Amino acid sequence: MVQLRPRASRVPPSAMVDEGQPASEEEEEAEHGLLLGQPSSGAAAEPLEEDDEEGDDEFDDEAPEELTFASAQAEAREEERRVRESVRRDKTLLKEKRKRREELFIEQKKRKLLPDNILEKLTTAEQTNIKKSSGKLKEANLQKENEDCDKGSDSKKAKVQKVQSVGQNKSYLALRLKDQDLRDSRQQAAKAFVQNSLYGPGTNRTTVNKFLSLENKRLPVKKAAAQFLNNAWGTQKKQNAKRFKRRWMVRKMKTSKK
Amino acid sequence: MGEFKVHRVRFFNYVPSGIRCVAYNNQSNRLAVSRTDGTVEIYNLSANYFQEKFFPGHESRATEALCWAKGQRLFSGGLNGEIIEYDLQALNIKYAMDAFGGPIWSMAVSPCGSQLLVGCEDGSVKLFQITPDKIQFERNFDRQKSRILSLSWHPSGTHIAAGSIDYISVFDVKSGSAVHKMLVDRQYMGVSKRKCIIWGVAFLSDGTVISVDSAGKVQFWDSATGTLVKNHLIANADVQSIAVSDQEDSFVVGTAEGTVFHFQLVSVTSNSSEKQWVRTKPFQHHTHDVRAVAHSPTALISGGTDTHLVIRPLMEKVEVKNYDAALRKITFPHRRLISCSKKRHLLLFQFAHHLELWRLGSTVATGKNGDTLPLSKDADHLLHLKTKGPENIICSCISPCGSWIAYSTTSRFFLYRLNYEHDNISLQRVSKMPAFLRSALQILFSEDSTKLFVASNQGSLHIIRLLEGSFKHLHTFQPQSGTVESMCLLAISPDGNWLAASGTSAGVHVYNIKHLKLHCTVPAYNFPVTALAIAPNTNNLVIAHSDQQPLPNDKTLLYNPLPPTNESDVIRRRTAHAFKISKIYKPLLFMDLLDERTLVAVERPLDDIIAQLPPPIKKKKFGT
Repeated sequence: MVQLRPRASRVPPSAMVDEGQPASEEEEEAEHGLLLGQPSSGAAAEPLEEDDEEGDDEFDDEAPEELTFASAQAEAREEERRVRESVRRDKTLLKEKRKRREELFIEQKKRKLLPDNILEKLTTAEQTNIKKSSGKLKEANLQKENEDCDKGSDSKKAKVQKVQSVGQNKSYLALRLKDQDLRDSRQQAAKAFVQNSLYGPGTNRTTVNKFLSLENKRLPVKKAAAQFLNNAWGTQKKQNAKRFKRRWMVRKMKTSKK
Repeated sequence: MGEFKVHRVRFFNYVPSGIRCVAYNNQSNRLAVSRTDGTVEIYNLSANYFQEKFFPGHESRATEALCWAKGQRLFSGGLNGEIIEYDLQALNIKYAMDAFGGPIWSMAVSPCGSQLLVGCEDGSVKLFQITPDKIQFERNFDRQKSRILSLSWHPSGTHIAAGSIDYISVFDVKSGSAVHKMLVDRQYMGVSKRKCIIWGVAFLSDGTVISVDSAGKVQFWDSATGTLVKNHLIANADVQSIAVSDQEDSFVVGTAEGTVFHFQLVSVTSNSSEKQWVRTKPFQHHTHDVRAVAHSPTALISGGTDTHLVIRPLMEKVEVKNYDAALRKITFPHRRLISCSKKRHLLLFQFAHHLELWRLGSTVATGKNGDTLPLSKDADHLLHLKTKGPENIICSCISPCGSWIAYSTTSRFFLYRLNYEHDNISLQRVSKMPAFLRSALQILFSEDSTKLFVASNQGSLHIIRLLEGSFKHLHTFQPQSGTVESMCLLAISPDGNWLAASGTSAGVHVYNIKHLKLHCTVPAYNFPVTALAIAPNTNNLVIAHSDQQPLPNDKTLLYNPLPPTNESDVIRRRTAHAFKISKIYKPLLFMDLLDERTLVAVERPLDDIIAQLPPPIKKKKFGT
């Protein structure tokens, strides 16, 4: 039996596995050739690989290599097995990785959630009868979520995404922060609409000063405008001047003392 | 009357907030007014236009619509998307319900009073059923493309008209679908790039829809055919509000220029039966936009950005022509915003979100009657105390010795201790105030500054003893069983024995502090109480009512009258000298007697308020 070297296969092993029938036919033919064949097919096979590009014409006359069906089959099965092994290994590796990541997430989530004792309290609070004064019931104000919390979970409340409001004990209420932002943005947009339609471009608005000075302009003895001086003019300059004056005075005092 | 040195204070920079909505209730003759900072005030129009109740404002609550429902219930809707019902007895908010349609722009109650319609930002009109204790969502009408800015019911309750941007829709209530869509021109006989905003609609019983828009037009539409009947161009700026009378023979519109027009249904010729709408009277009582108008059977009410509430009785509807028939302009709130510490000459000013403490200036010069004396030491701004949170301050007070400041918002009560060392002030907050003190309507310190009296809106009166840096709750006077009314006014006798408290409806209760029990009750009068004071030496309780008749109540001997509160000039007075009306002061907000020879009067000239308002519409006058 000719010992076959594992060929750096010209045909990929998957193709061999897939096309079981035609491959076997091929090998049968090869097998026939081998039975007839040359003992030095191994030697002949070597130069076949090296001079593949050059000497194709030389080996056209030679008989194909000898291969037994069983060995070829065994080889094919080897290949298959190897492939399957590698795929399985890959899969398991991936599974392990995913598992590890899941565990990591669970751990992180556990750390984020409220500690167990508080969760217990929350669930049992709905059943127990709490005698709080009626004043507390009125304190459930949607805007003040952190005001009168007496369960001590202030730090966690900001991270809790959505919590049902606890039934009878209305001393605090947990809210989704995203809802409030949405509401605020809509309110801002609405206010901007009103502002734009009443005071925006295209409206015929004037300043209060000009409005009040209309009378003064039409008097027989014309008077100045209602707010003649603009006190807000040049505030930065005036501030600088004041500071400079103070510093100069101090310096002057120092030099005069000496 | 003796000679007094008067401190005329003008540095109280108080600007009231503009009026946004006005709603008139016919059964009780009351007017609800909502302002831009969220405050809602209730005026009793029959009691000389006295502001009897108010709900403090909130920063996030931008009210855009206000209406009364059956059974004296008040609802409001705002840009935060919530429908709020107000509890008029306990003076707080009953509940706030989210309408889930975005910001609410308009609200209308059905003529039968049991259904509420809300127009939202996303173009949907939502119908709510008013149940005895809450409201319940019933259904949505067909959704429109742009925001619904105004709503009006047909008097029979079968159709509604909704004004939006560039069009008006008429809906059928039963099916909820839009029957007609009437397109409005952007400009009177012209083209314009700016969209036409329908600020107000009104539905009459003959099927006419009246619309007012931002191009300055008043248009009459026929809702059966969906066509324009008549077009009036009345202003160069927006016409922002409309209100129809109950008899549907007159309506009033308010414009952005400050003019209010009265339209009446008059017959074409003197004896024909055909009538038409004619613009009869223009009124120019405002300088800025008139954003809300209301029509009572005898008067036209208007309010706007210039913060005045103007009530104009119509001459032809008023039977008796007396002082009542004159024009009323209400500018300042009918409650106390300033308190004074007599010993240290300090004034505490209350604003919406902060308090300011000022020390009065002093002078050493002397002069004759009518002289203005120069100040040797100017008034000093000592403290600017900001409140945390979005709520407005309801009331505040400073103790007579000047070492305690207390103020209250809807949810909290704050008490501060002040220490004075050589012209410096340090402030210390007293923490852990009890919860029952919040939402106080009136705070008062006793004369010796050891006791604090708080009147809460639940009707109870609390007495707290103040110690150095801490406090102790002494006593609570509970309201009499069956009444839950809020105590609005407090007055304490100078010797600290008697406390008088008046509520909104019942009479004045007098409590004995030494024995901590109720002493007597002055029976209720027709008109609500506007001012209370106890005279120093004689322990007389003097009550001033809103019809300007003071009622001295002898508890011991002498008769010592107090000046009345005039509603236009003087808002609060707490002096104890005889009746002499002096008209030399600008609108007065506060007056008090500092000692035997000195008075302090805080004035607020109207020009200073106008100078800080938003821009008005430009008026073109010939020659300028």
